[in-house]
Amino acid sequence: MAAQCAPEGLIAGAALADGAQPVLSIRGLAKRYGSHWALKPVDLDFFPGQVHILFGENGAGKSTLISMLAGALAPTEGTISIASFSGGFGSVNEARERGVRAVFQEFSLVPNLGVAENIVLGNEALTSFGLLDKPAARKEARELIRQLGFDLDETALVADLARGKQQMVEICKAVRAVPKVLILDEPTASLSTHDTRALFDLIRRIKAEGTAIIYITHRMEEIPALGDVVTVLRDGQMIAQVPAKTEESRLIELMSGRKVSDLYPQPRSELGKVRFCLDSLSTTDGSVRNVSLRVREGEIVGVAGLVGCGKSELGQACFGLIPHASGSLTIDDRAARFSHPADAIAAGLWYSPADRKRDGLALGRPAQENMLMSALNFGKLQGFFLRRSQEREMTAWQSGKVEFPWKRTKEAVSNFSGGNQQKIMLAKSLGQEVNVYIFDEPTVGVDVGARQAIYRYLHDLTADGAAVILISSDLPELLGLSNRIVVMHAGKVSGEFERADFDQHRVLEQFF
Amino acid sequence: MSTISTQNVSPAPRNASEAAAAKPSWLSTHQHQLVLPSLFLLALLVFAAFAPDFYSVDNQLNVSRQAVYLMLVSLAQFVVLVGGGIDLSVGTVVALSSISAAMTMSGIYQDGSGSASWAIAAGTLVALVVGAVVGLVNGLGTACLRIPSFMMTLGMSSVVFGIALLLSAGVPIYGVPPEFGEIFGYGSFLGLPMPVVVALLMIVLVYVLLEWSRYGRHLYAIGGNARAAMLSGVRTRRVTIIAFVLSGMLSALSGVLLTARLGTGESTVGSTFPLESIAACVIAGASLMGGTGRTLAVVAGTFLIVMVQNGMNLMQIGAYAQTMVVGALLILAMSFSRK
Repeated sequence: MAAQCAPEGLIAGAALADGAQPVLSIRGLAKRYGSHWALKPVDLDFFPGQVHILFGENGAGKSTLISMLAGALAPTEGTISIASFSGGFGSVNEARERGVRAVFQEFSLVPNLGVAENIVLGNEALTSFGLLDKPAARKEARELIRQLGFDLDETALVADLARGKQQMVEICKAVRAVPKVLILDEPTASLSTHDTRALFDLIRRIKAEGTAIIYITHRMEEIPALGDVVTVLRDGQMIAQVPAKTEESRLIELMSGRKVSDLYPQPRSELGKVRFCLDSLSTTDGSVRNVSLRVREGEIVGVAGLVGCGKSELGQACFGLIPHASGSLTIDDRAARFSHPADAIAAGLWYSPADRKRDGLALGRPAQENMLMSALNFGKLQGFFLRRSQEREMTAWQSGKVEFPWKRTKEAVSNFSGGNQQKIMLAKSLGQEVNVYIFDEPTVGVDVGARQAIYRYLHDLTADGAAVILISSDLPELLGLSNRIVVMHAGKVSGEFERADFDQHRVLEQFF
Repeated sequence: MSTISTQNVSPAPRNASEAAAAKPSWLSTHQHQLVLPSLFLLALLVFAAFAPDFYSVDNQLNVSRQAVYLMLVSLAQFVVLVGGGIDLSVGTVVALSSISAAMTMSGIYQDGSGSASWAIAAGTLVALVVGAVVGLVNGLGTACLRIPSFMMTLGMSSVVFGIALLLSAGVPIYGVPPEFGEIFGYGSFLGLPMPVVVALLMIVLVYVLLEWSRYGRHLYAIGGNARAAMLSGVRTRRVTIIAFVLSGMLSALSGVLLTARLGTGESTVGSTFPLESIAACVIAGASLMGGTGRTLAVVAGTFLIVMVQNGMNLMQIGAYAQTMVVGALLILAMSFSRK
């Protein structure tokens, strides 16, 4: 047993694991690339019926660890023991056969197949003639979805589903045969509240059946709600193992290695004139209906609601990405109607999309080029020819504002962790002078350290007199940052709360 | 059994682990950059052993003269590839521009009764306009009708070839002024062959446009992620259409220079250019997915292909076998390059 001395008396897993045999053990498991340790040798035991949370910043080694457990990555050294097996998994299939299933953030779904076909993929039921038994597959999928309590149509095409729904298909696939060990990598990042609840019920059920669950999350409130034990990783090293009931601030401290003051900067109390004024906007596709919204200088207005309530579409419609059926928009007292994002940016409106990989970044290009993608058209760097030295100055300044490591701006975006990629997205918004910002899910899949930097950045924008619309599925974040929260439901505004009246339960009620 | 393992942290640099997590070995991240130099070296060694004449000054001049026509087409292909498209019509644009230049010139020159310089200027202009129009149609189809560039340009390639055959009735067009060949085919300027001078100018133009202008930056951004570029306020349609127009014009210029060299307008020239130009770009590290590649590497890639062909000529390898080698070279380069 690798019981080394605990520096701060963090005696935790001991009580939970008394007497039980671990279903999965790792000893000295490590991954090295050249001279860099992505994960230094680590010993861990995973017990049946335990939800084991891996907690750490992006790049701390969590993904490396679970990739090795899932057979997607070969370890440099160390062993994985499960049942009579001991060694490293050679492939995802081998891990599966030994009872380890993983649901990653990158999906392994075939977009052009239906939900049912995806769930049974690789293990299809056959008729006695050896042909596909399609009705049997549909029936099995329908049964599974019903058992899990997911809101999912087994006949739908995966390509047509939103990200959250695809996540559920992936989970269905993983639990089709109850695994000995189930790995979930930020499963709730794109789930609606309803589906999150269904997922938590599912986790509790398979936990009762004796499955060991390894769970990665950046949402602090999920840790005590779901977890039994938390392993904290930092810089490729295991830092501590503590009970899931450990205080939030302590966890953040362990994760980041520094004291954490208040996560959310206080919104400004003195607000200026109205900068953004939307009057009864409706879109032609019906995703936004009769929405009015005013945002003043220095103000952050949060837009909350379930996935599919129209909050994301509201941002897109303001930016001219969805055609308007009726309504009007004025920015700084000038009427604004856009047919191309270029017009919107020129009029002083910036929109930062939710899906950074699909809509936000050119992953193969350097961070610097991404940061300046719009600055060349609208910012100080306008002109036919590039001015490389000014570009460097500009990106150094942008990097400082969003706390991005500016020395690395020449590297391709794909080299960076989620948090740093998100910072590149935000840096883009500083490429030109605009007065109104719309951020759609600016902290999705981002660790607490980067989150703090992003919050400070949002706060700085308002200090400079900008009006900010913050669309988010993270309610604590909205409650912490906003002057005002607008809740949307079925395309309409279902509630509006001033900061003085913020109350999590009352806001949540308006979601449904 | 209990699990209490707590370790103290060594003050490791924060970003080191993040960088490491994303970084496989040096060789695997850089292998696409090694394709071109290693193939170059291999070719040079083979020629040193089997075709020593390859290294003569005369032959080197010969290689650069031969490289001009493919060079212009490779640059054309490269501009489109950077923006995430592909242009399969480059070959037939060369043919149509050759036919239209020759027809215009012979029509004006009238076997010596018209002005030669006027004929040359008008013929060149007509060919460039023809190239630009084909490029415009390609661009409009790709950017506005959202037809994949592969299909759009493959279809246009057939349309354009048909027009070239109809105009020429499938036979060479004679009657271009002799001065055309004397100046643009065999003439020289500052001691360099005229076609080489034109190619150098175009290399500089494409290099500056792609790597030192806003237009180029936008093109790389579109190739990298078209939707992200659009949401950043880049006029993606306009940029894409311009890329295809440039491609058409560069190909047309190649057709004009070929006509000067041959002395006739031919509807059969350029048929190998689509494959060879794609090979030159891919060997140079341009991705078929768009957003990557350097202009000067494409220049080197073109040289490699022309060198291999020239070396094989010196080694007296027949044209049929050469066709095989170029195809095999493309496949070999693809296996090492970014997909």
